[in-house]
Amino acid sequence: MNRSPLSGSFLDALEAVAAALWPVRLRGATGWLFIAPALLLVGLLLIGLGYMLEYSLHELDLSTYRLQEAYTLGNYAVLVDQPVYRRVLLRTLLAAVLVTAITLFLAVPYAYVMVRTPSSMLRKLLLVALFLPFFIGQVVRAYGWLIILGKEGIINSMLDAVGLPAMDLIYHYPAVVFGLVQYMLPFAVLLIVPAITAIGEDIELAAESLGANWLQAFWYVLLPMAKPGLVGAGIVVFTLTLTDFAMPEILGGGTTDFIASSIYDSFFQLSNAGLGAALSIALVTIGSVLVAIVFHLAGAGTLGVRGQAE
Amino acid sequence: MSFIPSKRWVLWSLVSFSLVTLSLPTLIIIGASFTSGDIIQFPPDGFSLRWYRRLWELDSFIDAFGRTFVVSLICTVIAIPIGTLAAIGLARYRLRFQQALQVYLLLPFTIPLVVSGIALMIFFGEVRILGNLWPVGLALCLINLPFMIWSVSATVNALDPELENAAYNCGAPPVQAFFAVTLPAVMPGVITGALLMFILAFNEFLVSLFLTDARTVTLPVQIYNSIRSVITPDLAAVSVVYILVALLAVWLLDRLVGLDIFLKSR
Repeated sequence: MNRSPLSGSFLDALEAVAAALWPVRLRGATGWLFIAPALLLVGLLLIGLGYMLEYSLHELDLSTYRLQEAYTLGNYAVLVDQPVYRRVLLRTLLAAVLVTAITLFLAVPYAYVMVRTPSSMLRKLLLVALFLPFFIGQVVRAYGWLIILGKEGIINSMLDAVGLPAMDLIYHYPAVVFGLVQYMLPFAVLLIVPAITAIGEDIELAAESLGANWLQAFWYVLLPMAKPGLVGAGIVVFTLTLTDFAMPEILGGGTTDFIASSIYDSFFQLSNAGLGAALSIALVTIGSVLVAIVFHLAGAGTLGVRGQAE
Repeated sequence: MSFIPSKRWVLWSLVSFSLVTLSLPTLIIIGASFTSGDIIQFPPDGFSLRWYRRLWELDSFIDAFGRTFVVSLICTVIAIPIGTLAAIGLARYRLRFQQALQVYLLLPFTIPLVVSGIALMIFFGEVRILGNLWPVGLALCLINLPFMIWSVSATVNALDPELENAAYNCGAPPVQAFFAVTLPAVMPGVITGALLMFILAFNEFLVSLFLTDARTVTLPVQIYNSIRSVITPDLAAVSVVYILVALLAVWLLDRLVGLDIFLKSR
């Protein structure tokens, strides 16, 4: 490397400063120095969660609309007692299961074609089609669906033009599930792709030359081998759906509240921070427990940020 | 033997369906933004740029756009050093509690955004920094940090540690070895990560919804608030801004590191 004397002496000075601030005997802890800022940043979130936990243990005083001083589990009791929260939870869980199943069903062929196609043009098209919506964001995408499916949207004005009655394409459960599938597809494909890349094409050929038809080769060879990717994608899609806010709000139009909507409403409509905090803690707990169960049954999949420290 | 549908046909119909589903909203928004009518309908009333002209006159959207840009920039500037160092630290050093550290650093992903958003709103409110722009950038950096760490760790893992050892053996002191060997080698990961952080902050909506108010509202929140009233084509014109930015980001990502990087097996 060709350096001027100036930058050389600057580097020496830097070296001296570094040595003074971080003497050799601390070298063993350099790794910790590297990750300390990230630990601190994520710590902010933990502090916020601490407040959340604290709030959840105080009930709302209906005369002053402030949280009472006394500690209580009353908010959690409300969640268990009131059937509305059980309904919202079941509705959200069902959506998470449906969206995960449909998304994986669509993502596997997409990832498969993207990896296996000999045409680099097609591969690029599929990649761009994947990244573009991901980068455009959820709100704008939901707005696009609103234009297409809305009461006075494109489809209904087309129906109207040919004299057919308008259809209710939006503000119901299927619309929300559909919007969520479209939102989750890029995440799922990108998590499945590495797993499929890792499977040699010859393995499939071997299965087929041994008499398996392509569906059997897919089901008995490809999918089991791609399991880490499928598990990773499944977990991400499931948890993102479980906690989504924008799709149920925009495409559901307030008719199909998910847990996130209930949390929002508790804080900002009912002004009951205690109840909202209890709901939040419940959501975090339910999500973590479900993910832990999947991890336990199927392994962490491709989700581990495993660094291979030598 | 039962009927087996052709592989080609099945794959193609499923992939085409996905392609249409992924692209249709984008294409429709672009089409709708050029209508000359007051409402969005099919067939469209005619071609005009009036909604773009109107957009240009709407100060609220221009301001929101500027704020969104600032917030995304703050997010990216914070994420680059923090994420890069964390990724190197995790991949290069034998740390105790490695497993627990990874779970901890993934918290921004595992904690639902709606919860993170409100939790940070409460915390920022308590320390009285709510109402500024920079805490929004900080929060967006926090919730997307795993993306940055992921991008960089991929390149750190690909870097042969012998290269760094060679630098030490040739007499390079640690800081110089870091800047001359490690950092340039992980640069592609840093660039990918920074780009992801910027674009994700640029279209982030939920956490921003909780951390902004009428004076600091960012563009995604502004769009969300406007969706709830009446659908007019001016929103489509704003959305086209997003489509353009996303196109630019995809193009940049492809030019800088190549989209094919995401096809590699890990």
